[in-house]
Amino acid sequence: MKVSFKLRSFLKKPQNIILCIMFLFLAYLTLIPMIIMIKDTVTVHASEAMRLKKPIGSFTLNHWFKVLFDKENSWSIFYKPFINSLITSLGACLISLVVGGVYAWLITRTNIKYKKALSTLFIFPYIMPSWTLALAWFNIFKNSLVGGTPGMFASLTGIEPANWFAYGAFPIALVTGLHYAPFAYINIGGILRNMDANLEEAALMLKSTRSRIVRKITIPMVLPAILSTFLLVFSSAMSSFAVPTFLGLPVRYQVLTTQLYRTMNGSQKGQGYAMALIMIIIGVGILAFNQRMTGVRKNYTTITGKSSNIALVNLKKARSVISIIAIILVLIVSVFPLISFALESIILRPGNYSPSNFTLQFWIGTSEQNKIANSEPGILLNPGLWRALWNSIKLSVVCAFSAGTLGFLVGYAIVRARGTKLSTAVDNLAFFPYLMPAMAFSAIYLSMFSVRRGIIPSLYGSFFILVLIGTVKYMPFASRAGINSMMQLSNQIEEAGEIIGVSWWKRMTKLVVPIQKTSVISGYLLPFISCMRELSLFVLLVTPQNRVLTTLLFQYNEKGWSQFSNGINLLIVIIVIFVNTLVNKLTGASIDKGIGG
Amino acid sequence: MKKAFAILLVLVVACSLFAQGANEAAAPKAEPVMTHDELVAAAQAEGTLTIYSYSSRMAKIGEAFQNLYGIKVECTQLKDAEMIEKVSTEAAAGLDAADLIYCQDGSRVYPELILAGYVTTYVPEDYKALIPETYQDPLVFEFCNKLFMYNNENGASDLTNIWQLTEPQWKNKVQTKDGFQEGVNLNFFTMITRDDWAQKIADAYKALYGKDIVLDADCKNAGYQWIKGLYANVVLGKSDTTIHEQVGAAGVGDYYGLYTYNKSRNSAAKGLHTAPNTAMQPFAGFMYPVYTFITKNAKSVNAAKLFIEYASSNEGFEVYKVLGDYSPKADLVNPEDPISFSQWEQILVVEDPAWCAEARPDVEEFISRIM
Repeated sequence: MKVSFKLRSFLKKPQNIILCIMFLFLAYLTLIPMIIMIKDTVTVHASEAMRLKKPIGSFTLNHWFKVLFDKENSWSIFYKPFINSLITSLGACLISLVVGGVYAWLITRTNIKYKKALSTLFIFPYIMPSWTLALAWFNIFKNSLVGGTPGMFASLTGIEPANWFAYGAFPIALVTGLHYAPFAYINIGGILRNMDANLEEAALMLKSTRSRIVRKITIPMVLPAILSTFLLVFSSAMSSFAVPTFLGLPVRYQVLTTQLYRTMNGSQKGQGYAMALIMIIIGVGILAFNQRMTGVRKNYTTITGKSSNIALVNLKKARSVISIIAIILVLIVSVFPLISFALESIILRPGNYSPSNFTLQFWIGTSEQNKIANSEPGILLNPGLWRALWNSIKLSVVCAFSAGTLGFLVGYAIVRARGTKLSTAVDNLAFFPYLMPAMAFSAIYLSMFSVRRGIIPSLYGSFFILVLIGTVKYMPFASRAGINSMMQLSNQIEEAGEIIGVSWWKRMTKLVVPIQKTSVISGYLLPFISCMRELSLFVLLVTPQNRVLTTLLFQYNEKGWSQFSNGINLLIVIIVIFVNTLVNKLTGASIDKGIGG
Repeated sequence: MKKAFAILLVLVVACSLFAQGANEAAAPKAEPVMTHDELVAAAQAEGTLTIYSYSSRMAKIGEAFQNLYGIKVECTQLKDAEMIEKVSTEAAAGLDAADLIYCQDGSRVYPELILAGYVTTYVPEDYKALIPETYQDPLVFEFCNKLFMYNNENGASDLTNIWQLTEPQWKNKVQTKDGFQEGVNLNFFTMITRDDWAQKIADAYKALYGKDIVLDADCKNAGYQWIKGLYANVVLGKSDTTIHEQVGAAGVGDYYGLYTYNKSRNSAAKGLHTAPNTAMQPFAGFMYPVYTFITKNAKSVNAAKLFIEYASSNEGFEVYKVLGDYSPKADLVNPEDPISFSQWEQILVVEDPAWCAEARPDVEEFISRIM
């Protein structure tokens, strides 16, 4: 009797039902891959059997030993790259928080000019694959160390950039930091915009100084957003692979992911899994810290239902100067790479930028005209490309929809049931996939879903398996966005509805979602963008019928046909911008939350 | 307690779901000897063929094959690691995903695909007399050469010995691909740590400097010692295409690279100055094999066989007849190439997958330490 009563009251709360369902869903889709991965760290794989002289599949502690305790090798295999990873990831966090935070503050809280343009352009670096930014850095600042033609900077100024500036920790942290700065911008900007200005005004009336207000009120209020950004950027930077490969290799700057890739691609997979697991543990550690911080201070509510007017800081004389500097900096990191993609896609001979070398044959040439590129028809005439483009869009939209919806519900339920074990468990489960190396994750999915298991049919080669992995992998974006925004939403609003007997469904659709519209939409757009430019997650799971655009991008890139790969890159960026604008026009919200507009 | 039990229950249920994915036993296939016409008929009855390939050029052969026989060909390009991961997982799950694969990196292919029983080798009857026996099991489709290439803008190089590239004046003047980006490069380094090659390298040292080599404490033999010396000078690159551009650009002066020879076909179009140094002792580079296999669960076995035959026919192999790519099949010679396949065999290091599979982890660790 007592138990059933407890159970009934437990299930009466919608958040508990959501958490229960999501727990089962995520346990199957993330916990099992985790367990398989843990098992992989103590199993002899086919490539290791000959060396370890043990049968395939038998138990071994050798991988852990090599990674952590081998006097001769652990330093080079794990510790050194690990320290480098910490350095670059913390550097990237710092850069993105400072850059994103400053821009968010300028746009929401000051009378800076060009708000709309700044706000839109600021997210471009995230839309572009991070390696293209790294490539741009490399092409501009490369010095004679790598041979070849001098970089753009050296040939224009005659000054050779130093090695530390051109390669290694500094540019890796900088490029990664700028790439993820939109996270900080979106998270912090969202809070700054929604924050109840009464708090600041009260302080102002009490003659508190501006700097004291920032220290005592603004920063504590945006702390959850800062922590959340830190969590996302740090984990993304830790697991980012392309940037360190491009910029670290010339000076042999190894980070954990390049090391992970080496072991997984080499003959020591087990060590790779062990390293991946360590990365996951670190991520979970940060997540736990995050939960503790937000758990201790219960009240971050900024949306109370009362109206608020934010007094903008007057930049006075500095207004024009700051506005112009801000817009120039944004143009450099957002528009300049786009121009370079466009330019690279229309030049015949690489490195020669004179108009006589321009051609549109890589866009609209027939296969007869493109003898130089193995008779591949131009981008716009290539039927394979159109099919792949359609697949990419279809996949990204479906993934975005499911990841966004589920992520928001998860965020809602986690915050509503904050403090319970179930809430923490789901919070952790939903975040695991973000920390899993894409290739290992997809390899596990391939084996999990390639045959029928109980009631789950074989999903191999289906479109659905791509949707499934994309949803699970990108849900953390939406769930983090959901948690952040729900954290600010006062319970009172929903309780008010509850008291007058409004159903949960109606409370959600008429109260919570409309208030949270911007963060809900950003929860859809981040998975969409990520999906559009994802390769390693899908490459093991695609079959020729559902090939996506990035697989083509990879092929052209491998062949060194920079015109095609730059063209496709440009295409992806344009589509994402188009979708973003479309969503903006239709719903009024956009990924940058139009926080300036 | 209740919660812990619930979690346990979920795990048990989930694990049991997972554990049900056992393989169906593969029935041994009978191997009837067919005439060519019978093979064509059987292949056409199958209708489609799915290929995973290391190179995009395979798709061209696929198109020609499709036009010739009316069998639909789907060709997917995959990187080494993804290829092995995909093929082994699909084979283990009993899926008939790919029928035919063309892959490289013997040190992984050997234990993970061949020994695991996921792939089988097929050599067309007529070809057995034309291909050296060593390259029939596993069957090598082609060899790709990676040579010591240099910038020849200022004339021919006078280097004759690989040890010269370890001398201080070549510091940051040699480029090669990071071996971990592409397994075949690591296989090359692994090959030269085998006793026979290490001895040749020690002899080359003596020939150059007139004294016996003294090994560092961390170097087991002259092969390791040379790798260490090379790594002290080398700038690591990400792809052969960019290394080619960086070594061959006008104005870089004396510069060496160890990378794929077939990149030279674009030199003129890109305005690059490179030439191979085939006089280097004791080797001028290495050649790595591309293997071809029929997968364990292939549905279109006959189409796969027919394709293997076609791809290594004079007509099919046409797109691979460029400087730097070589078929071991005697009748597929490139008339424009001054050096024949058997001559390359003499001056290059050739991959032995069994040795590489066994010894590569040591070399990987060694290279990680000296990085």
